Amino acid sequence: MPARAGIGLRAPHVARVLAERPPIAWLETHSENLFAAGGGFHHALRRIRADYPLSLHGVGLSLGSADELDRAHLRRLREIVDRYEPALVSEHLCWGALDGRHSNDLLPLPFTEEVLALLVSRIGQVQDALGREILVENISTYLRFEGGDYAEWDFVAAVVRRSGCALLCDVNNIHVNSVNHGFDPRAYLRALPRAAVKEIHLAGFTRKDGLPVPLLIDSHSRRVDAAVWELYADAVALFGPVPTLIEWDQDIPQLEVLLDEAALAQEVLDAHRAFAA
Amino acid sequence: MHTEPSLPDWQRQFLDALYDADARGPAAAVLGNGLEPDARLRIYRHSSEAIHTGTLRITYPAVLALVGEDYFDQAARGYRHAHPSRSGNLQAFGAGFAGYLEMLPDMRELAYLPDVARLEWLRQESALAADAETAGPDIAIDDLLDTDALLQVALHPSIRLLAGAHPVLTVWRYAMQPTPERLVLDGEGEHVVLWREAGEVAMAAVDPASFACIASLAHGHALDAAHAAAQARDPGFDLAACLASLFRQSLVTAIHPLNAS
Repeated sequence: MPARAGIGLRAPHVARVLAERPPIAWLETHSENLFAAGGGFHHALRRIRADYPLSLHGVGLSLGSADELDRAHLRRLREIVDRYEPALVSEHLCWGALDGRHSNDLLPLPFTEEVLALLVSRIGQVQDALGREILVENISTYLRFEGGDYAEWDFVAAVVRRSGCALLCDVNNIHVNSVNHGFDPRAYLRALPRAAVKEIHLAGFTRKDGLPVPLLIDSHSRRVDAAVWELYADAVALFGPVPTLIEWDQDIPQLEVLLDEAALAQEVLDAHRAFAA
Repeated sequence: MHTEPSLPDWQRQFLDALYDADARGPAAAVLGNGLEPDARLRIYRHSSEAIHTGTLRITYPAVLALVGEDYFDQAARGYRHAHPSRSGNLQAFGAGFAGYLEMLPDMRELAYLPDVARLEWLRQESALAADAETAGPDIAIDDLLDTDALLQVALHPSIRLLAGAHPVLTVWRYAMQPTPERLVLDGEGEHVVLWREAGEVAMAAVDPASFACIASLAHGHALDAAHAAAQARDPGFDLAACLASLFRQSLVTAIHPLNAS
């Protein structure tokens, strides 16, 4: 995967990407969008895959569920990984389901030894099943649990070190959580195992008004915030140039807006290279 | 003595709170930090609710257009509460929405709505069904009809069928592209065939005999049995014409002798 800026491929842009083949360094799609047996998206992605490096990003495997991993979900993931041979495969450090009941959302976990051991075991299962390394992504959260043995950044770092997986560092999520829970986002970045960071995500958030405390929602519905661009530059300075993705999932704008955001990320990557040279 | 709930217990409580506004949830385990723990859990409930209602809006655009956003979202929330999501893949969510709508008391005045929802779920199934190579157009239909062998005509996996009790395709088209004229719903039920064409779902209302023939073939029955099923609806049914239209739409994937075993 090139250490350049890519975009998340979303349904409204598929036809234009197919027809125009815009100059994008790489594309990412949600793994579950390929779970269907056949149909138009598979047909489109087979053609797109021939021209662009691809990353598959899972949103439904629920690594942190207290019950068993969903075997059928994992089997299907393996089938599409075998079929599309993506450069990167990622999942989230979260849970979303129990006893077969799904929230279809990315839910928070307590940062305890018990959950750490659970995640390390699950990541091992997934990497064994896929026969390859996966990346795990830090999520945005709107609550914290009582107790806990770790700060979030130490927990994320421990999961990565103990499981031997790579890290998808979502810089927007770090900023969102730093506001929601009150911590220094740069200390978070510094605590992460640098060599393990193999992808960065950037997205826009929204502010939830009318509350007695500041609260940001990871809405993926607007441009990347100025504070997140600054944090991203610090992340690139720390981790070096890393494949960076612009995510946009709600109120999806014209393709040009995503390309423009990707160009801004590319400027940061290029500036680092120029400086490092 | 305060004991921490086990991981499965608080995850179960968390999901209860996401699906039921009255559920207590794991609030005791949540730090407030300037907000009520319940308010923090509510953010997650609204988020999961928005994901599920948003998914149903995408899958059921004609139902949404027919009943309006407020009624749709209320029904979607009711459906979600009664039928929690059972998959990490959202494409699987909403299969039972038509059946749920049918149970709502308002449906006495919107009797066609569950049929429209059924049609939209079949559109989703057709759009996501497996791909298949189609049999070439060089097959001579007359030769097929002359053979004594028991034949099976395999149809494309994207074919779906709906025998509507209402003019369901007419209503669907009106909902998706309303015309200034008032839609008069005194027609008979429509028999709809759905399939995928160049990546998009196509639909056509067909006569009951053709529908019976295609449905029989889709169930894997022999061509003779499909012919008989159609003739039971219309003694003058033209099998050659029906097969020709299936070939024309590239919906036949194979023809082979039916294995007697």
